[in-house]
Amino acid sequence: MRLFKTTNIPFLDSRGLWYIVSSIVIAAGLVAILVRGVSLGIDFLGGTEIVVGFKQAPEIGKIRAALSASGLEGAEIKTFGEPTDIIIRTTEQAEGTVVGDRIREALAGTYGAGSFDILRQYKISPKIGKELREDALYAIAWGLVAIMLYVAVRFKFSYGVGAVLSLFHDVLVTLGVIVIINGVIPGLNLEITLEVIAAFLTLVGVSVNDTVVVFDRIRENQRLYRSMDLKSVMNKSLNEMLGRTIITNGTILAVLFVLLFFGGEVTRAFAFTLVIGQLTGTYSSIYVASAIVLDWPRRLPARQAGRATA
Amino acid sequence: MKNYLTRVILIVAATALALVFLYPTYQDWSYRSQLSNLSGADSLSYLETNQDAIAEARSKRMKLGLDLQGGMRVVLEVDVIQLLDDLAKNKDDNFRAIISELRREAETSELDLVPAFAKKFEQRDIRLSRYYGTLRDDDARIMAELQLETETAIDRAIEIVRNRVDQYRVSEPNIQKQGARRIIVELPGVKDEGEVRQLLRGTAKLEFKLLRDPQVSYRVMETINKYLAGKIDSTGAARDSVSPAVSAQAPRKPTDALTELTGGAQTASTDTTEEARFARENPFFAYVRPETRGGTGEGFVLSKDRDRVLRLLARPDILRLLPPDFEFLWSAKTVKDDGGLEYYTIYPVKKAAELTGGVIVDARASTDPEDSRPIVNMEMNSDGAREWARITGANINKRIAIALDGGVFSAPVVQNKIMGGRSRITGMDSPTEARLLEIVLRAGALPAPVSIIEQREVGPSLGEDSIRNGLSATGYALLVTVLFMVLYYRTAGIVADVALAFNILFILGVMSGFQATLTLPGIAGIVLTIGMAVDANVLINERIREELGGGKTLRAAVDAGYTKAFTAIFDSNVTTLLTGVILYQFGSGPIQGFAMTLMIGIAASMFSAIIITRVIFDFMIDRGLQPNMG
Repeated sequence: MRLFKTTNIPFLDSRGLWYIVSSIVIAAGLVAILVRGVSLGIDFLGGTEIVVGFKQAPEIGKIRAALSASGLEGAEIKTFGEPTDIIIRTTEQAEGTVVGDRIREALAGTYGAGSFDILRQYKISPKIGKELREDALYAIAWGLVAIMLYVAVRFKFSYGVGAVLSLFHDVLVTLGVIVIINGVIPGLNLEITLEVIAAFLTLVGVSVNDTVVVFDRIRENQRLYRSMDLKSVMNKSLNEMLGRTIITNGTILAVLFVLLFFGGEVTRAFAFTLVIGQLTGTYSSIYVASAIVLDWPRRLPARQAGRATA
Repeated sequence: MKNYLTRVILIVAATALALVFLYPTYQDWSYRSQLSNLSGADSLSYLETNQDAIAEARSKRMKLGLDLQGGMRVVLEVDVIQLLDDLAKNKDDNFRAIISELRREAETSELDLVPAFAKKFEQRDIRLSRYYGTLRDDDARIMAELQLETETAIDRAIEIVRNRVDQYRVSEPNIQKQGARRIIVELPGVKDEGEVRQLLRGTAKLEFKLLRDPQVSYRVMETINKYLAGKIDSTGAARDSVSPAVSAQAPRKPTDALTELTGGAQTASTDTTEEARFARENPFFAYVRPETRGGTGEGFVLSKDRDRVLRLLARPDILRLLPPDFEFLWSAKTVKDDGGLEYYTIYPVKKAAELTGGVIVDARASTDPEDSRPIVNMEMNSDGAREWARITGANINKRIAIALDGGVFSAPVVQNKIMGGRSRITGMDSPTEARLLEIVLRAGALPAPVSIIEQREVGPSLGEDSIRNGLSATGYALLVTVLFMVLYYRTAGIVADVALAFNILFILGVMSGFQATLTLPGIAGIVLTIGMAVDANVLINERIREELGGGKTLRAAVDAGYTKAFTAIFDSNVTTLLTGVILYQFGSGPIQGFAMTLMIGIAASMFSAIIITRVIFDFMIDRGLQPNMG
């Protein structure tokens, strides 16, 4: 079976348009981040988070009243996947598990001790939260540096730049989408947790994987078609790889959708992040990574002559 | 490239290795499913007959993360400021002001606390010796002392935690030091978090307890033994009425069997019927071997029998058999006999402690200047010293157990009346043992204050849900991928699916081999790997199609397909691997599990997608079969 006949789409001719589209999407995301703020999960915020499984679906308002009565006004209360499962989060700090115990007591007072189970309880001190925030930023920064170096060594410097800029693009777009969508779809909680940070690093890995495969074909075709200009070589390579790009990304996307729908609440935000990352990663291999490699020498006219025949 | 043999051997070896690594996991699973089918007495007897094999499989199986099997992870941090506060004497307003100032500053910045603390005194022109050490000590010396005290506090805290966790009988606990001030405690499968939390919180209790008279101790054990054998009833169990029965039961003394049993495993196992008869007649001595030769009155319990004996000794009817002011304390550590068997010691002691750890001022491990054997020097305050002189004077040649939170670390014999509060404890086998005793003594004297800075508890039901969800996601992901590959690439797709099956086998095998922990993000990593693993075959197959389209023969096209797709596969996988390595470095617990499966998955997929599929293609072409490229 073959879905894709030999195509001849002039991908890079329209890159100006796509630069604008990418910029608008990123700008929209940044605005959303500024306006709505990134909602951090318990790992980075610090505080206490409890997931409670009730026998019968409770009313959020009633839980809020119970918690307010015991002095936990600011607590965030949402459903966690099932309507019977509730997640309660507060940044209130106290020694040990005092906050968690207070939540348990408040719930037991309202609903009776036997009517719910504690499915999960996390308590993170602000100190740990701060450390985890720093670690996460370092991890993503180191990830980008490592990739840029590897690609620059295996290909050319401009390819490294293209790869890393496309990764910045992917991370920003995905973050923007997460911030915009968070809270819009009921039951889909998209706080930035440790798992979501792991998803970001993974999308960096998977997206660069795609970019590198395209770069590899460009590298090969440049040797084969020495008289062809870079743009034509790139367009030719992108067309040749189109089948592979769509099939591979399609299978990965398919398994990610499986994870999103069947993987359960705990990995949902993780899977969602990867789905968005996969979509933008595929797009950015073509319209960001390759396009920037193509445009890079033009900003340095002195090197252009040498580059054109390379 | 045509040497099948090397490649086939490689594949077979890798597969065999993966299966060997996975076998204990399979065994563990099959034991558990058999156990869940049995009920009541059947399951107990099944447990007993297969105890060792079950434990063996359990220790070697793939570990499940806390998020999958439920449990608790706690990060504790030694509170250095609290420690400095605890250590000081004659505290006044100045001191308290400095402590609270330091605490405020420490919240917002990373300080090296002891120097920062000392500097504050210097600024106010107060000598440290007002609060620490003796008046003669200068600041530098006191600072060095304090520094040492804060550095060793973590060891005391770890020992306290380990000791309690051991006694709580959590299976597969993981306790490790992180940096200079943190302890990570992972307790999988803990049901009652409240109790464990209590264990981690309260201060450690060090006690000196006198061992009971050996004759009394032996008689008590014998009474329990007879009671369990049904020879006496619980009401007639007063010690006096039992004594005649002891001598009457002469023919086969439990102690004879004991020497056989402790002598080595071989002798015990040759005579199984004899052993069974003995166990039937002596239900207590079959598990608790009393030490009679030295006349110390203690008993030895094989570490595998510990839970059983613990349960037994906690029974109310057994407790009624004990004389007043009598209890059994367990040793905190096991000892090994010549046959390699591990034993706990149970010490019959007086319930009321003679002295508690608060009186200890100092304890140092050292070596005896005369014969350079390891010793521990212990120093007590004046109140303690007075009491200690009375206690030791009245109990020369008797033994005193040193117990931390109920676990006995040492039970030295009192040699003489100790005046002045300075004692020397000898008889340790190694400097490590002496060092441990030092830590224990100091832990009782100066509890290291710790605070819980991170705590994660996952209930078993959420873990079960996660496993179920993870398995179904893996199943559906496999189904989608496998079907798509067959539909799209036909024969070549089947070949890729075979490689995918090997890939998953390798991932699980390597994880078992490394004793890695499977977490929920780890399962997500496997799902993602399923999607990514076929990429290499997609690249190769697309390439082969291209080459075929260019007019090459099948053999040449396959050859070119593999060669030319290789650089793309290699470079793209290395970049993904890089992010996996960084993720592993940065992450903890579940995230590391994810990074681990991702890295193993990438490595395994390169092997299976390139080598295994190639062997299959070559084989088909050599046989004149024309694999359908779809």
